[in-house]
Amino acid sequence: MNTWLLSILIFSPLLGVLVLMFIPSHDEKSIKWLGVLGTLFPLGIALVVLSAFNIAEEGLQLAERFSWISYEVFQSKGEVKYPIFYEVGVNGLSMVLILLTAVVSVLAAIASFSIKQNWKSYFILFFLLEMGMLGVFAAQNLFLFFIFFEITLIPMFFLIGRWGYLEREKAAYSFLIYNGVGSAILLIVFVALFMKTGTMNFEQLAYTLSLPQAELNQLFITKGFKMGMLIALLIAFAVKLPVFPLHSWMVRVHVQAPPAIVMIHSGILLKIGAYGVIVFGAGMFPEQFKSLAFIIGLFGVINLLYGAFLALTQTDVKRVLAYSSVSHMGIVLIGLAAVNESGMTGAVFQVVSHGLISALLFFLVGALYDRAGSSELSAFGGVAKRMPILAGIFLAGGLASLGLPGMSGFISEFMAFLGLFEKMPVLAAVGTLGLILTAVYVLRAVLAITFGAEKDLHKADDLSSSERIPAFVLLAAILFIGIYPAWLSDMLRPTLDAILLGLGG
Amino acid sequence: MLQMSWLIPLFPLLSFILLLLFRKSKSESTAWIGVLLTGLSLVMSVGVCLAVWQGEGIKTEGTWFQIGERAITMGFEVNPLNALMLVIVSLVSFLVHLYSKGYMHGDERFGVFFAYLGLFSFAMLGLVLSPNLLQLYMFWELVGLGSFLLIGFYYFKPEAKAAAKKAFVMTRIGDVGLFIGMVLLFWQVGSFEYDEIFATVKNGDISDGMLTLTALCIFVGAVGKSGQLPLHTWLPDAMEGPTPVSALIHAATMVAAGVYLVAAMYPLFQASEAALTVVAVVGGLTAIFAASIGLMQKDIKRVLAYSTVSQLGYMMLALGASGYVAGIFHLTTHAFFKALLFLAAGSVIHAVHTQNIEEMGGLWKKLRLTGPLFLIGALAISGVPLLSGFFSKDEILASTYADGKYGLFWLAVIAAFMTAFYMFRLFFLVFTGEARQEKKDGQKDVHESPSVMTFPMIVLGVLAVVAGYLNTTWFGTFLSDYLARGPVELPHGDHHGPVWIPLVATLASLLGIGLAYLIYQRGTLSRDWITRSFPGLSDVIYNKWYIDEGYDQTVVKGTTGLSKLGALFDRYVVEGLVTAVTTGVQRLGRIGSRLQNGQVQSYGTAAIFGIVILLLIVALTGGYFS
Amino acid sequence: MSSVPLAAYLMLALILFCIGLFGALTKRNAVIVLISIELMLNAVNINLVAFAKYSINPGMTGQIFSLFTITVAAAEAAVGLAILIALYRNRQTVNVDEMDTMKR
Repeated sequence: MNTWLLSILIFSPLLGVLVLMFIPSHDEKSIKWLGVLGTLFPLGIALVVLSAFNIAEEGLQLAERFSWISYEVFQSKGEVKYPIFYEVGVNGLSMVLILLTAVVSVLAAIASFSIKQNWKSYFILFFLLEMGMLGVFAAQNLFLFFIFFEITLIPMFFLIGRWGYLEREKAAYSFLIYNGVGSAILLIVFVALFMKTGTMNFEQLAYTLSLPQAELNQLFITKGFKMGMLIALLIAFAVKLPVFPLHSWMVRVHVQAPPAIVMIHSGILLKIGAYGVIVFGAGMFPEQFKSLAFIIGLFGVINLLYGAFLALTQTDVKRVLAYSSVSHMGIVLIGLAAVNESGMTGAVFQVVSHGLISALLFFLVGALYDRAGSSELSAFGGVAKRMPILAGIFLAGGLASLGLPGMSGFISEFMAFLGLFEKMPVLAAVGTLGLILTAVYVLRAVLAITFGAEKDLHKADDLSSSERIPAFVLLAAILFIGIYPAWLSDMLRPTLDAILLGLGG
Repeated sequence: MLQMSWLIPLFPLLSFILLLLFRKSKSESTAWIGVLLTGLSLVMSVGVCLAVWQGEGIKTEGTWFQIGERAITMGFEVNPLNALMLVIVSLVSFLVHLYSKGYMHGDERFGVFFAYLGLFSFAMLGLVLSPNLLQLYMFWELVGLGSFLLIGFYYFKPEAKAAAKKAFVMTRIGDVGLFIGMVLLFWQVGSFEYDEIFATVKNGDISDGMLTLTALCIFVGAVGKSGQLPLHTWLPDAMEGPTPVSALIHAATMVAAGVYLVAAMYPLFQASEAALTVVAVVGGLTAIFAASIGLMQKDIKRVLAYSTVSQLGYMMLALGASGYVAGIFHLTTHAFFKALLFLAAGSVIHAVHTQNIEEMGGLWKKLRLTGPLFLIGALAISGVPLLSGFFSKDEILASTYADGKYGLFWLAVIAAFMTAFYMFRLFFLVFTGEARQEKKDGQKDVHESPSVMTFPMIVLGVLAVVAGYLNTTWFGTFLSDYLARGPVELPHGDHHGPVWIPLVATLASLLGIGLAYLIYQRGTLSRDWITRSFPGLSDVIYNKWYIDEGYDQTVVKGTTGLSKLGALFDRYVVEGLVTAVTTGVQRLGRIGSRLQNGQVQSYGTAAIFGIVILLLIVALTGGYFS
Repeated sequence: MSSVPLAAYLMLALILFCIGLFGALTKRNAVIVLISIELMLNAVNINLVAFAKYSINPGMTGQIFSLFTITVAAAEAAVGLAILIALYRNRQTVNVDEMDTMKR
């Protein structure tokens, strides 16, 4: 039963930290290559995990469980044990996200070649961040989830604050404050659930919470309590996702953080919010989730339109992409709000697809920034002339972002909207306005950079070979999912079916 | 043959991939890759079409992915309608490939151009072969991509950039309509398959309101793609692309996709009288509206573009007036003669390096092949008897009349008159009279295009003459017999209106030609007598009824305004809320720091009071909390 | 001997403790504060001895504990006075109000 494989995966980035300790901090070249190697190693293990993963099987796989902390509390009803285990495991959903994490990390490490200073501490933090992300998706109880969740925050704070652009510190603080508040709410919820149910394990918790109300009353769990917990959870993850009006930190981080970190941030960290909503929200409080579906959908549509409208007139390409992330996360909510198979699948597809697409786009923006020393749209023009590959991939990324069929963005948008149209056609119809707006702002930004009269950049080389790897790999992944979505949907189906069974849909 | 028809779109895709790989090659012989591969598609399409002509269609599907229990399928279907479309698309695509070999000679992105052509052909052929709405929608968008890339081919020109963006966004508006219609239909039917949709519609399982709603949503998609009112403004702007592109995409194939969509979904439209009426009215209005703009334009390609919009309106009108065969028939003939006109226009532009018809003239003698071919195209589109346009237009008029839509019928007749007039205005201004362009230094003499360009034009010229005999009352109604075997139950066979209809149509076109002759050739009538007599009206028409300006003032300004408002909201309200919270916390902190005065004794006092209060609570509550 | 109830001892200890607490919290002179702390410690001693004597199984634990307390108190007084003298030498004051350098 205990295969150790997942634990090895989670802690594998630490090997990179260990090796880096012995490299002198001025040896730029070996540090950078070690940085890439250190992320390749987890990717290799992730692939081993994938091969050990049985797609058809339902439920947890490769689970590990060790007793960790246990304490007893004397209460009026007698002695109550509160055991905390170290529990990890994967299901289809977390498998997909772990794979995404491993892949995007490697590519972000390659993108980190443009980091100018303090490479050693940068990569040490980078590895810690990767460990945190892998742990979040593999954790199978609240305690472990929370620990890994926090582990992602701290390296991120330093990565933004030390290696970002001009206003990096402000961005780092607003990142920390918002997410700190989110975590605090999360902690309260977790503790409350633990105290009431006496377990932290996801499955047990979901089981306990699904008991008939009569039995729940004995545990002092009322319907109001459940609803309160769900709302608190949604708010906590809404900060992470982010949902309007809690998005301003994310825009700032996207603009100020170094591109490689934004790849990680918008590619994976935001997805923790979606993962949380699916696993905790829909998975543990199905009834309440269903009753809130309309509000979630409403927020989804607001996010979609609000982000799109704001992206329309931004003059900095990073801000355009930041607001486009807000907008695209709206689609995740839209899919979730549909509370049916197609909506849920669409939401997860959007999570994966946006992870790849935004990683690609931010990578290219980083490459453009290297060449122009600016990310203002007005600084660019006619890039297609001297950098046809960069321009072509940028255009392809933009098209993927606006949901062109044959690319992953289309599948997710299609399924999310398909789902919502069944339940709330009017809301969904309003939401489709976002599809038009997305086309407008994406083309505006992409064409402003690649088309038109050529402007002088201080360096006008096309993508170098080390830059081509991430770009081509991401584009290939986007196309693969767009053309052959069955690969992903088959993997997700057992997990989502289980969640949907709880939702009764 | 039929089982292999899925290969047809894959040849151009292969061409796209190969040419992208060989993008850096300086040799222009890479074009032969594209020509050869589309040629293969053409051969196969003809084979498929012949096979369908003789026998049955085919439908093959496999699961693409699953949503829960529902399988989303992908596959291909060949039926009479799309076999015909296959031939049209691959033929025009093949000829345009060949033509571009000469036209694009010397362009530094020569290979890329052919790659894009391949991508477009792939998407268009895929669209036609789709057996379900979802797959159609996907290719529908990809076709838009191909069009976008080719319009923006001269990416360094600001006009091309704007036009490409406009084309994508405007068609996207339509696409969203199609998307909504498709999804709504899915939840009614439980499938995207044409067969199942038609079966459900036939069984009457869908409420009338829903039927009309979905049909109209789908029609919005067709309006966007086919440049119908009010989403037509992108099509004339799309002329910024290279001329072969205009011939392929914006005359013969992609813009006809809207018409094809309505034809492919015809049973749905038939089930809703209201939807059909809307289709007919939009089509009829577009026909006359675009024709009126075509009267005044000075750019040779724009005249042709408005003429395309107008002819597409005709097709929609036919479909809306239950003239299924008439619509498809006109689609076919129009594909040939309009592609011919565009290629001939391209040949003219190639020769004189301008698009302004005011600067042309007297080219008849210099372009010995292009001139007559253009004349054939112009005669065909004007509906002069014995050429293809006459027969198809006649059928449209007849079915409109038979359907009882008399108002639209007369609109169509007037539009036919206008068509003849502006086409011959174009002809006389370009080919007759004296050369009006001053010769610039170092400019080469005007000369005929190379044979690689003239050959496609000759083929199209022949087709523009004979395509009409596909469906005539004199020799046989081959086309309608053929289409009748498709999935669509044709309305009531042929509806041949009164005998005077062809006469009226002929009269209208001859009048138009005659008027153009009098004004632009003989000069009997002064060229600006209309302009002078109705200055206001002609001004409005010349400025395309100010539609673009209207959109700029309302939709564009409104959206950007809303966006700016949103930015302010984001900056002041959302951020302000956050700042309020942080300053609140800071204030609280300052109050707290005032409490910390460094006096150990006051800390002690506070601690003592704290414990006393806690003890009191324990004492008073009797240990409830323990 | 048993005529004096436990409550009387506790009351005495309480009064003594409160006087000490009051002194420790309000007096400005550091020496007096130290003396007040001694008072509180002695109140604790009384409690210890009283409980040792009057508990269900009387023993010597309380007395022994109070001996420890006295020792600790002596040590504390020694260290406290030493610090106080050092402070006085530096600042020329034994006023506790002025001893707030940690805050600044």
